[in-house]
Amino acid sequence: MGKKIIIDPVTRVEGHGKVTVLLDDNHRVEDAFFHIVEFRGFERFVQGRPYWEAPVLVQRLCGICPVSHHLAAAKAIDQIAGLDPDDLSPTATKLRRLLHFGQVLQSHALHFFYLASPDLLFGLDAEAAKRNVVEVAIANKDLARKGIQIRQFGQEIIKALAGKRIHGIMAVPGGVHKTFTRQERDAFLNGEGVPSIDNIIDWMVGVLDFMKKYHETNAPWLDYFATYPSGHLGMVTQDGALELYDGPLRAIDAQGNQTLLAPATDYVDHFAELVKPWSYLKFPYLRELGEEKGWNRVGPLARINVSTYISTPLAEAERKIFRDYTGGKTNNMTMHTHWARLIEMLHCAEAIRDLLNDEAILGDDLRREGIQRSQGIGVIEAPRGTLIHHYEIDDKGMITRCNLIVSTTHNNEPMNRAVKWVAQNVLDNRFEVTEQMLNQVEIAIRAYDPCLSCATHALGKMPLYVEVQDRRGNIIQTATRS
Amino acid sequence: MKKVTFYIDDQPCQAEDGKNFVDAAAENGISIPSLCYYPHIDPPLATCRVCTVAIGGQPRAACSLKVSEGLRVQVNTPDLIENRKAILELIFAEGNHFCPACEKSGDCDLQHLAYESGITYSRFPHTFVDRIVDFKPERLVIDHNRCILCKRCVEEFVTDSGKKVFSYHRRGGRTEVNVDYELEAEMSDKELTRAMRLCPVGAILLRGKSESRPFGDRKYDKPESQEAIPLTTPVEKPVVPAKKKVVATASLAGCFGCHMSMLDIDLGLLDLIELVSFDKSPLTDIKRFSRHVDIGLIEGGCCNSENIENLEYFREHCDILVSVGECAIWGGLPAMRNTISLEACLEEAYLHSPVTRNAQHIIPNHEDIPKILDRVYPCHEVVKIDYHIPGCPPSAQHIWKVVQNILFGTKYDVIYPEFKYD
Repeated sequence: MGKKIIIDPVTRVEGHGKVTVLLDDNHRVEDAFFHIVEFRGFERFVQGRPYWEAPVLVQRLCGICPVSHHLAAAKAIDQIAGLDPDDLSPTATKLRRLLHFGQVLQSHALHFFYLASPDLLFGLDAEAAKRNVVEVAIANKDLARKGIQIRQFGQEIIKALAGKRIHGIMAVPGGVHKTFTRQERDAFLNGEGVPSIDNIIDWMVGVLDFMKKYHETNAPWLDYFATYPSGHLGMVTQDGALELYDGPLRAIDAQGNQTLLAPATDYVDHFAELVKPWSYLKFPYLRELGEEKGWNRVGPLARINVSTYISTPLAEAERKIFRDYTGGKTNNMTMHTHWARLIEMLHCAEAIRDLLNDEAILGDDLRREGIQRSQGIGVIEAPRGTLIHHYEIDDKGMITRCNLIVSTTHNNEPMNRAVKWVAQNVLDNRFEVTEQMLNQVEIAIRAYDPCLSCATHALGKMPLYVEVQDRRGNIIQTATRS
Repeated sequence: MKKVTFYIDDQPCQAEDGKNFVDAAAENGISIPSLCYYPHIDPPLATCRVCTVAIGGQPRAACSLKVSEGLRVQVNTPDLIENRKAILELIFAEGNHFCPACEKSGDCDLQHLAYESGITYSRFPHTFVDRIVDFKPERLVIDHNRCILCKRCVEEFVTDSGKKVFSYHRRGGRTEVNVDYELEAEMSDKELTRAMRLCPVGAILLRGKSESRPFGDRKYDKPESQEAIPLTTPVEKPVVPAKKKVVATASLAGCFGCHMSMLDIDLGLLDLIELVSFDKSPLTDIKRFSRHVDIGLIEGGCCNSENIENLEYFREHCDILVSVGECAIWGGLPAMRNTISLEACLEEAYLHSPVTRNAQHIIPNHEDIPKILDRVYPCHEVVKIDYHIPGCPPSAQHIWKVVQNILFGTKYDVIYPEFKYD
């Protein structure tokens, strides 16, 4: 009779997950799973609601990146109100982008400083009691202070634009509902109540230096740990730059060959999802490539991989250093996701500075109107990756169908691969499994910054492939729907 | 009109003979909460009973009383205050009032009264009746989930040409507001807006035009007075912090937003960790309780068997358990599925639409994943909860003020603008 190792709950991630590792009588790993254990079902109860409620309602999917859901839904609802992204006023688009950059900055800061940093600072042998943000604050007060204030800055941008830090409201169908005042703007430029934006940029440059030094001394581990080939998916601009708010989707395989370049609104033609009995979270993949090869990582590492440059100078310089390390090739090293995340934070800070200095954000042309349409698809790069919201309404404005593919769903297969990697490379053939070894499983998961709160609402109406496996993973039955 | 003397809680008061009691009390500096009473609706509707007072121990609706010489009315006895609070809680429990997703939130009279009464949770289980949202009118959308049957639209709203558009339909517990679709189709923009504004809650919506206003601009974001509201009575005995108190946190079926809000004290976190230390929490790697815990903060309601086990585990190990945020307090938005059967939810998720013939249908079901509950339960329906902090999410200030009070007896005031269902 084999043995089962259970890690429950997975901690220092947002939401609920659990890992099981199956061992045989000889302590050999048979298989390992990352289970998503919750189900909330937003897509069902959004049905029957008026369409304009969607951006406010669905942001309750997630308390870490509510802005992403708010904006993805708003972009979809714009289309239902008859407006494509280019039809919005420059002021509205820029304010939404500013809100989004604030959000990505704070969410990445939360993940790096509050959740992931203990693993990097204290190393693989640290005791469980030591691995948390409180100990980081005690051990490295300066880093903790900066981390806290970078997140605070992002949160305050959100509060200024959306009324409050968590679950605020700014976007309405066709635009935004509030002007941004000169006084509010100046507070961020001059550092009143928060550090100034220039301060934030300086600090981010410093944090990146810290990361590069850390990598120098820890390269063998960071390059090797939970590394495996995979596809990568993310949004780009029309000319291939890193993009977070609006643009086509691009995917590449592990060698960098393009596997997808399509308007984000065509997602239905390209993606399908798989259900497995042991997780409430589905497994999306590119239809053209099939379930075996079509799954992709999303998030910071994937975005840096699929884009050809970054539009802001400091972040672009950092991207080049990052790319040079792999000789310009696709980076498949899981732990490098942290590094990529910091580069994105620097980009967000620079983009925020540019937008704050753009007079258009103080304008009062907030909202446009159009002729009602029957469906809208809003796609955005949330902090954790590509986020898709899709709504259909009847002619009275009632939502009849809603499909959400949240970022973490794309990372379901990648995280399971990472878990299997650790199981096979760290836990296999050991007579004693220590707590620190188990934490390595979580370190691999944490690199993806999974938001399991988001993930647990996904229902989906995608083409579906279901497989039934026995305990040894042999497929005994399959079913599909289109 | 001659002045008469009457008595509120045995205190003599004066007002014009025959004056409505709610107004007469207000003239004498005593505010009686009321939801359906408006001076220009005569006779008063007296439907909501929120203004319940008593004469000789018999409960009466204050709005239906007129002042007369020697009238003696009990208004602010502890029992009556509690009764009025209970009536408001019942109104919340009876409908489906998902404040965080409602256009009228912040502009809602029901919410405002609940704030003023310091209602942090409903002692009555929510009924989660499946009510319709009526999309049939040309321009209006009537959300019966939010209708509190105050009858205002029925009694007060007439078109410019004097016609009634709203009426009551059915009787007793099945009463509903009906719309005359033909008349509604002819209503002008102005009339429609007037109807929408008349509704004290968010039941009458205008298609594509009803939207929440920016935070801070909403009617009840800025109260007339900045006075503290009567929240859960603060702990009075000050405790000297001899050693660090131990805090644990749990995230059940929530969005993690309340945990984010706890972190929103920013640099205050560095001060906080001088006073408390954290045990089991998603923010630490402590997975099983390692010691005695002073206070457990719970985010999220219970949607699966694991949430229940986790909550019971917390109850066992924490001296004090606090529900933080709407989901923990009454299920929150995830409880929107409570009006739909679990079967329908799961079918929608995993089985819906044509599957190929002879196919095996699969709903995730495995020994390593917990079972989904028939509906989402608030924490206090599962274990005893000692305090409730409402909000979606509650602000960082609100959360830590309450926690510091509970742990250290630190005096606190939660001012009206900090107290929200959102």
